Amino acid sequence: MKPILLQGHERSITQIKYNREGDLLFSVAKDQFVNVWYSVNGERLGTYNGHTGAVWCVDVDWDTKHVLTGSADNSCRLWDCETGKQLAVLDTNSAVRTCGFDFSGNIIMFSTDKQMGYQCYLNFFDLRDPQQIEDNQSYLSVPCSESKITSAVWGPLGEFVIAGHENGEINQFSAKSGDILTKVKEHTKQINDIQTSVDLTTVITASKDCAAKLFDSTSLEHIKTFKTERPVNSAAISPIMDHVVMGGGQEAMEVTTTSTRIGKFEARFFHAAYEEEFGRVKGHFGPINCVAFHPDGKSYSSGGEDGYVRIHYFDPQYFDFELEA
Amino acid sequence: MEAEVEFDEGEEPSFSDPEDFEDDISDQELLGDVLREQPQEADGIDSVIVVDNVPQVGPDRLEKLKNVIHKIFSKFGKITNEFYPEADGKTKGYIFLEYSVPSHAHEAVKNADGYKLDKQHTFRVNLFTDFDKYMTISDEWEPPEKQPFKDFGNLRHWLEDPDCRDQYSVIYDSGEKTGIFSNDVKEPIEVEERARWTETYVRWSPKGTYLATFHQRGIALWGGEKFKQIQRFSHQGVQLIDFSPCERYVVTFSPLMDTKDDPQAIIIWDVLTGQKKRGFHCESSAHWPIFKWSPDGKFFARMTQDTLSIYETPSMGLLDKKSLKINGIKDFSWSPGDNIIAFWVPEDKDIPARVTLMQLPSRNEIRVRNLFNVVDCKLHWQKNGDYLCVKVDRTPKGTQGIVTNFEIFRMREKQVPVDVVEMKEGIIAFAWEPNGSRFAVLHGESPRINASFYHVKSNGKIDLIKTFDKQQANSIFWSPQGQFLVLAGLRSMNGALAFVDTSDCTMMNIAEHYMASDVEWDPTGRFVVTSVSWWSHKVDNAYWLWTFQGRLLQKNNKDRFCQLLWRPRPPSLLSQEQIKAIKKDLKKYSKIFEQKDRLSQSKASKELVDKRRSMMEEYRKYREAAMKMYQEQRPLRLELRGGVDTDELDSNVDDWEEETIEFFINEEIIPIGDL
Repeated sequence: MKPILLQGHERSITQIKYNREGDLLFSVAKDQFVNVWYSVNGERLGTYNGHTGAVWCVDVDWDTKHVLTGSADNSCRLWDCETGKQLAVLDTNSAVRTCGFDFSGNIIMFSTDKQMGYQCYLNFFDLRDPQQIEDNQSYLSVPCSESKITSAVWGPLGEFVIAGHENGEINQFSAKSGDILTKVKEHTKQINDIQTSVDLTTVITASKDCAAKLFDSTSLEHIKTFKTERPVNSAAISPIMDHVVMGGGQEAMEVTTTSTRIGKFEARFFHAAYEEEFGRVKGHFGPINCVAFHPDGKSYSSGGEDGYVRIHYFDPQYFDFELEA
Repeated sequence: MEAEVEFDEGEEPSFSDPEDFEDDISDQELLGDVLREQPQEADGIDSVIVVDNVPQVGPDRLEKLKNVIHKIFSKFGKITNEFYPEADGKTKGYIFLEYSVPSHAHEAVKNADGYKLDKQHTFRVNLFTDFDKYMTISDEWEPPEKQPFKDFGNLRHWLEDPDCRDQYSVIYDSGEKTGIFSNDVKEPIEVEERARWTETYVRWSPKGTYLATFHQRGIALWGGEKFKQIQRFSHQGVQLIDFSPCERYVVTFSPLMDTKDDPQAIIIWDVLTGQKKRGFHCESSAHWPIFKWSPDGKFFARMTQDTLSIYETPSMGLLDKKSLKINGIKDFSWSPGDNIIAFWVPEDKDIPARVTLMQLPSRNEIRVRNLFNVVDCKLHWQKNGDYLCVKVDRTPKGTQGIVTNFEIFRMREKQVPVDVVEMKEGIIAFAWEPNGSRFAVLHGESPRINASFYHVKSNGKIDLIKTFDKQQANSIFWSPQGQFLVLAGLRSMNGALAFVDTSDCTMMNIAEHYMASDVEWDPTGRFVVTSVSWWSHKVDNAYWLWTFQGRLLQKNNKDRFCQLLWRPRPPSLLSQEQIKAIKKDLKKYSKIFEQKDRLSQSKASKELVDKRRSMMEEYRKYREAAMKMYQEQRPLRLELRGGVDTDELDSNVDDWEEETIEFFINEEIIPIGDL
């Protein structure tokens, strides 16, 4: 399984995302670039230029028309996916940490950091109403005074957003009223990443408390826990196997004091039902900041603190492997 | 004149009280300030001492006696007053001496009590102020009240485990939690776990009967099947403890409580009764244990400047009432097998350095070895006391730098013969095989560190068996049963481990536990644990269990793991013959054990499979429920995406655009280093 190395960023990768079909892979990093690649061969298709600060998040809608990015330059931007043209800039008071299109692709959400005296907000815009974009006036803005949002995804059918917080809480925010529908606290530390399964029924959280957990999207019922010895930065659910992949490692600020051998910068594969680790993939020489499965489940990608994105195609043995039961 | 006249003329008022008048003002009220300074009867008696067992002499020899007394007692301070009571022309046999200040009197009591003037006369010196104390002691001896018997169950319960599992204590969560586990090949079995059981760390007693926990207010001992509290020793701020090898006494050290007249820095306690046996002063705890115990627990010794003090149990008094005067004594240690003390004295001008072996309580010097140009000595006893190795660092004349010799004393032979092994390189570590006649040495300079193994033959010849060069090691850990050992490169050497069988000197396995800080053999020599303690390293705190051959059995990650200690076992009750017989029939036993192992293994894998099966079952159930809901929501999804079916990746193939992608293929060689 020789990986394809994508060298298009100068700083650490912050998020990667496949489109629905999986032919494209979007990557954002702490430099100002937003890149899009052919996932099949790692060729770069193009960039979306305009941000002037670290880009924290990226999302693409279901029909790969629009791309949404959020950045530390205090803006959330909407792009035409095909042409790379910037369609809208939504200025904010603080860095944009998470962003996403809902199931229909009509509504976008993004959250801002608690920063420079500003509170953390979760904002909702309806793209069908051009006035909202023009006036930079969200139809719903939910303040989160307690603990800021550090990761967020849309739930199924666009009814709510599932947000992970700095204190380890997970909340469902209604996209209509902004109310908190369900609240759980299964993690003890910051939630670094939340990703949904391909059918959006399940979410996986990755936390600084060295564990990843599976939850039901609707009820937020806790289903499984996957434990490691290192902070988990990102986790993803395989679309075809009962597997999850987790990436993480020693925190960036502590890395200099540990050798790569001990930093445990490997992508780790766990069986979703047994909660047992069955494989690791080495390669990054820094912590892994994000992982993503290709929607066909035959490859996965990881983006690291080292600035590289690696696309890995699974060997045939991977699909035959079974834990004895 | 006129005034005088007037005065005379006037009626003079009478100021005098009537005859029967008594005023009601007390002296206290009138002249309290003066009275406060009034001498008291007891004033000054603080400085008075009573000396008993003084020879009874007539007037002719009184002057001589006074001279002798003066000589002895003026050492402690100026004597301002003395009194020799007499009866029938002879002194009464006790005298009173007064010093200028009470502290001198205290000093005299401390040092002159028990002073042997001659065969018949041993002084008993007391403070005069203690008179009352001794007066109130009843002449009738009252038997102490009978303490109710407390049943703590079988204190050796853990030895009755049918599978002979050993126990160990684990401190983790940065000291918040302490647990006792039974070691098992599969996974540790929890015996007991408590939060905040100890405030710092724990200790096992030498035979494993008690677990000692540390608290601000003292030490607590726990034991029995359920680890109930058995004893408590209240010693504020206790930091260090040490058990006597027989487990009868425990020595505690606290830097807080010491006062001049009530020594409390070190306290010796009776484990069974919980009584304080004796307190001692102590300035520094740098060389703990300060008191070293003889192997049978009958004696304990302490070294101070130029003296070696040996105390005996149960009286806790000085053996033969006096310390040994050994000028320049640097270090001493008890043989772990016999009541023999080894100590060494450095060179002093023309007198060579000296290693002495002394039998106790007879104080016979059974062997003295003179050494020249000595810089330093280290005493290493073999665990049974069969051998003593004195590591001698010397700077011989005409050479530069330090050379090291091992002086090997064969204790079990007549005259205690000594043989010398010369080492050409610097010594990093030395260790005797616990039950054998081999020793291991790490020598050289990093990174060229060599491990050598020697064998002491009964004829005194010391053979070099084998040297492994370029080892990553700074410590040697012998199995308690001998033969096997672990060479470990702890901490700065990243936790390199080498498992060696010294019978044929083979490396059984080479492994690593990154950043390991400790290596602990179980008391039977079957398992060894390596650990990364939170006390020395902040990440990856864990303990790993290995077989004696170096096969990794378990990795136990415990959050902020601090310390693992195996519970010691008491010595075996089997005789040498019985052990021999068992060894002879080992094949018979091993068959039984192998079968047992197979059984438990198949059971374990069955358990694992069962566990997985039930987990899968549960997960499937959840997925089915989720999928059912997913299917129900299908119309809603279609509606939201304008009627396009996106449920499957290829559900709308018709809309796909074909695109041709060129693969840019080139050959690239990526060196795969230690990524």
